Amino acid sequence: MKLVTAAILLSSAAAPAAAPLTFEKDVRPIIKAHCTHCHGEEEKPEGGVDLRLRRFMDKHMEDGSAMLVPGDPGKSGLVQLIKNGEMPKKGKHVPDAELAIIEQWIAQGAKTAKPEPLALAPGSLISEEDREYWAFQPVKRPSVPTDVDPKKVRTPIDAFLLKTMRAQGLDFAPEADRRTLIRRVTLDLTGLLPNPSDVENFVADTSPLAYERLVERLLASKSYGERWARHWLDVVGYADSNGYSEADSERPQAWRYRDYVIRAMNDDKPWDEFIREQIAGDELAAATHTDFQQAVLDPRRTDQLIATAFLRMAPDGTGDTTDDPKLAKNQVIAEELKIVTSSLMGLTVACAQCHDHRYDPIPQVDYYRLRAVFDPAFNWEAWRTPAQRLYSLYTPEERAKAAEIEAQAKLIEADARAMSKKFLDEIFEVEIKKVPEAEQAAFRIARDTPKEKQTPEQQALIKKYPSALATYSLNLYDQKKQDIVDAKMAEAKKLRATKPAEGFVMALTEVKGQVPASKLFNRGDHDQPKQAVTPGELSIIAGPQIEPFKPALLSTGSTGRRLAYAQWLTSGKHPLTARVLVNRFWLNTMGRGIVNTPGDFGRQGELPSHPELLDWLADEFVKSGWKLKSLQRLILLSNAYRQSSVNNASLSSDPENKFYARFKMRRLDAETMRDSILAATGTLVQSSFGPPSGIGRDPEGRVVTGIDKSTITVNKVEAGGANDYRRSIYVQVRRSKPVTVLDTFDAPTMSPNCEMRSQTTVAPQSLLLMNDTFILENARRLADRLQAELPDDRRAQLQKAWQILFSKPAPQAALDRSLSYLEAQTKALTQYHHDIQHAKGDVPNPAQEAMASLCQVLCSSNQFLYVE
Amino acid sequence: MKRPALCSRRHFLHANGFGIGTLALASLLERDGLLAAPVKPELFGQARYDLTPKQPHFNGQAKAMISLFMMGGPSQMDLFDPKPMLTKYHGQKFPGEIKYDNLAQASSKCFGSPWKFAKHGECGMEISELLPNLAKVVDEITLIRSMTSGVNNHAQGLYAMNAGRVTAGRPALGSWLTYGLGSETDELPAYMVLAHPSGLPTFSGEHFTNGWLPALYQGTLVRATEPRILNLDPPPSLAGERQARQLDLLNELNEAHLTLHPGELDLQARIASYELAAKMQTAAKEALDISDEPQHIKTLYGVDNPITKDYATRCIIARRLVERGVRHVQVLNSGQSWDQHSSLITSLPKNCEATDQPSAALIIDLKQRGLLDTTVVHWGGEMGRLPVLQNDAGREKWGRDHNTYGFSMWLAGGGFKKGYVHGETDEFGHKAVIDEVKHYDYHATLLKTFGLDHTKLTYKRNGLAASLTDNQGAKVVDQLLA
Repeated sequence: MKLVTAAILLSSAAAPAAAPLTFEKDVRPIIKAHCTHCHGEEEKPEGGVDLRLRRFMDKHMEDGSAMLVPGDPGKSGLVQLIKNGEMPKKGKHVPDAELAIIEQWIAQGAKTAKPEPLALAPGSLISEEDREYWAFQPVKRPSVPTDVDPKKVRTPIDAFLLKTMRAQGLDFAPEADRRTLIRRVTLDLTGLLPNPSDVENFVADTSPLAYERLVERLLASKSYGERWARHWLDVVGYADSNGYSEADSERPQAWRYRDYVIRAMNDDKPWDEFIREQIAGDELAAATHTDFQQAVLDPRRTDQLIATAFLRMAPDGTGDTTDDPKLAKNQVIAEELKIVTSSLMGLTVACAQCHDHRYDPIPQVDYYRLRAVFDPAFNWEAWRTPAQRLYSLYTPEERAKAAEIEAQAKLIEADARAMSKKFLDEIFEVEIKKVPEAEQAAFRIARDTPKEKQTPEQQALIKKYPSALATYSLNLYDQKKQDIVDAKMAEAKKLRATKPAEGFVMALTEVKGQVPASKLFNRGDHDQPKQAVTPGELSIIAGPQIEPFKPALLSTGSTGRRLAYAQWLTSGKHPLTARVLVNRFWLNTMGRGIVNTPGDFGRQGELPSHPELLDWLADEFVKSGWKLKSLQRLILLSNAYRQSSVNNASLSSDPENKFYARFKMRRLDAETMRDSILAATGTLVQSSFGPPSGIGRDPEGRVVTGIDKSTITVNKVEAGGANDYRRSIYVQVRRSKPVTVLDTFDAPTMSPNCEMRSQTTVAPQSLLLMNDTFILENARRLADRLQAELPDDRRAQLQKAWQILFSKPAPQAALDRSLSYLEAQTKALTQYHHDIQHAKGDVPNPAQEAMASLCQVLCSSNQFLYVE
Repeated sequence: MKRPALCSRRHFLHANGFGIGTLALASLLERDGLLAAPVKPELFGQARYDLTPKQPHFNGQAKAMISLFMMGGPSQMDLFDPKPMLTKYHGQKFPGEIKYDNLAQASSKCFGSPWKFAKHGECGMEISELLPNLAKVVDEITLIRSMTSGVNNHAQGLYAMNAGRVTAGRPALGSWLTYGLGSETDELPAYMVLAHPSGLPTFSGEHFTNGWLPALYQGTLVRATEPRILNLDPPPSLAGERQARQLDLLNELNEAHLTLHPGELDLQARIASYELAAKMQTAAKEALDISDEPQHIKTLYGVDNPITKDYATRCIIARRLVERGVRHVQVLNSGQSWDQHSSLITSLPKNCEATDQPSAALIIDLKQRGLLDTTVVHWGGEMGRLPVLQNDAGREKWGRDHNTYGFSMWLAGGGFKKGYVHGETDEFGHKAVIDEVKHYDYHATLLKTFGLDHTKLTYKRNGLAASLTDNQGAKVVDQLLA
């Protein structure tokens, strides 16, 4: 602000007689620096004086005198109070030069540059400059550049890119060869390697539409959803555990949301609908907490309810032991807001939780207005724990059946207990005879007296002959009879097991009629609530041209706030939602965002490298019905996507690939790497959906798939069968226990979410590929697969390995080198096995081990690990 | 079953002259001055980066650095910067103009430190009673009481202090040092980061990112609990020369692949990372294992005290890493645990109890080993705190808000002065008024003690020469150096 003021001083000093001074440009910066903190930005302006707008200065002051008399600075209270030193009360005096500007402005008639709004929400004023920031402008569809070589344009994207490229003296790299292309696009769209047969078919396909057909086939495959859901799950912070507290308890119902996202991707569900369901699916389904303890709805409405788990993804420690339960509740809301705003608005709104945003025009009050949209559902003062936010998937029939079974089971249990009592009574009649006759009658009475009514004498008597009591521990008297009772009890258990399985939906709903008052929290501290706020969009986005926020009218008792907000986000008029989404889609395909800070489009983020392209994509996305697959076709079919990764001119002048004059090489992400290795070895289990595969810590401290058998002192995991080999998206995400093979290759830890993954290259990754059981086991399996398919033909096996892993035939030199490696390694392994004592019956196979060690090398090589 | 031993490093490398072995051997020989001219690191016009030791611009005193980074903003007037005036005015209105982080919500009541300061050492440096162990080694440290970064926010403060500028995505200090000087070890990562058991500090990976420097220079994160680095053991059947044979083949395949993608720095970095990983298998295990440290060393750091155990262990590991040639080690806290907006009176002592003894022990230990002269130890966060109360809702809730206009941090060893206090804040500890040290001045000075000229340590980016201090007008503060 100081700089701005200085600049104004300079300019006005240099040209005093130039254009008349205006409030916005010349005076407001001075007023903002000295006055509006007390006069306008706080809840109640001091003395009722609000100086944020010129219009407000027409008001008379408390003593009735005029604050501002246009044309007459001498009669204007504003000037006089500053001049006589009364104002500002706190802080520095207004320097003379600045006061002179105010006087000159008043003398000139106290003009504004533009008409001012009638009213302002309390808080710091958002300036014109703030409003002019690019990300807050409505999306305007630019025309596609035509002054580029049409031969190089396959989709409009190419035209936009070529235009900026040309200014840098760059040009597209030549198209990648077919093998590279099919490997690239298959990995990008499905997260799996192409089958060697698909590669050969594609290479042999001479149709001019071969690539287009390939793209269509991949977009239609079920693996597509399993890959692209992952990108969204990063952004929403998907996890199968609650995080926050040390317990990091499991979230056993989260997977339904994961499956919902996968299905949405595969079905190409329009993203406007997708977003509306995630933010307000409960309101769309006309569900509230009281109405729908049970989530028995038609499938569509159940889906909508499941979608709201988007708002339940944040770490939530409120079901576990926490130091400060109130804080824990509010943290859930804060983290959830972070997820909503970073995923759908690309703004660091969370920074305004404790104070006005430092860099972006987001006053603290706006944060709480946005929070108010979500407050009725979260309602921290009438909090519902994760367990209380589950909704049963029983149908009425299933519920009735379950109740019936429960009643029967209870009857059986009562029978069993009666049987036990009968047995004990019989035993008692035998045991009582061991008590001296004189005391028998008294003992009988004592036994029949309920424990709390027994006299001290009776208790002493029982203690004297404890074994005669026979009211419990039937097994100690007669194990056989106990077995009979146990068998009866087991019948009840068995019967209960026939109840229909009860599933639950984790969802966010409102409680009918419960609408908490939303307040601004001083310093973000829930113990210091201040003024009440009404729900609404951030002021910077809800500009004067946007209709004010109005909750949707619902008859269910839900406030309709979230539905209204979701409708606004997906109206096509929101300046950020579509931009933020297409930027992410672009990032996940092209390896670099047009805005390369995908979670921050604000001033601390990066500016778009291609603003026009971004807007064109955003507009196209909305116009074509918010369909991701349509947008992807535009990207995937472009020259930009199809070009080679080798372009020396681009690499040397633009290593970060801002201008997209080559395809940026990148490492397989964690899940793609794990899944591809499993697929290459033939062990990948392609079953979709359902509860996640378990994980546990092995004795070496790695977290691996399997059944956790660890105790407090020992780490142990047992094999979990087929579950251990499912795609990574189906592996449990436990925030406190990231799966080692994924974690090492930069899979995110959700705290609360991940806006963009990093891609690191560090020695622990190499160590994993050298020594981890995951790679060793899979290398062995790959070798075994090759041996089974092409017995004893090493050369053919190697060819096949190359085709599986690299989608390419092996060069002759590499084949020869590999064969000589096998020979030497077999010899060395033979020697090794000769030198050590093997357990009887354990027959080593050095040749096959050597082959496995070679498969390991191939899986560790850059040619495998990178997408070209 | 007898495991074939990986004898000495050289033995391993000599094994039949395998590729990676050969490559590593070449770098060793080069280091030992046995090879005449280094191979020109040019490949198709693109630089090839490595971690062999580089000549500094001039002779520097420092060879390595351990940064004890205290994310959150440690409160300088409670730890390092005594302010009697603040105590005198405690509870009264702050008499000057305060540059609040958040004017609307701060109180203007002075908050005199609840802790006492006393003079220590021959130099008579005043240190708070919260740091009794540091007080014993003040004659070794330079205390800067006039740090500023110009930004009052955690993220931007971190970027400024750790990466030279308030913007995100820039290379961390450790990346610049390893880029400029290479590494003194080829058995351990040049740049290592020791994480806290409760997790990383806020802005996690930003603490040790290589930014736009080649991936080779990024920090390697070491787990907080055993095993601190996973997968250090090869399976017995592949140990020794059999794994070397694998790596040799792998290296050939990767080199052939690289010739098709000349200049791809990430591919180069991965090739190098296998070479390093091979050697780490023995070296890292040994370096990270403190069980052979004598008891008096463990006691010195506080390994046996549950409160100091974690930090003590990590400080010992940091020392062991530096002894073995690691260039830069960061010892991190979790979250932003020094961010005492409230409950300062109870939580600040806890932070100090966990870190004071190990931090001071590190200085003593490095000194007795003759390593302090060449090792810079840094203790500090991304900003400091205000002299006025925040959260005036009862004594137990009192805290302090952010303050970037004058905060404290200390440095020891590696050419920094001993027993020296630099700069002053105003009487209330709000703003640096004498000898202000901006974050980039500190960086320029730090690079100088490593023999690096901050204007010359540059990396070509988008046609420009980018640097740590990045044309912000940084000046070396020669008074800080002995």
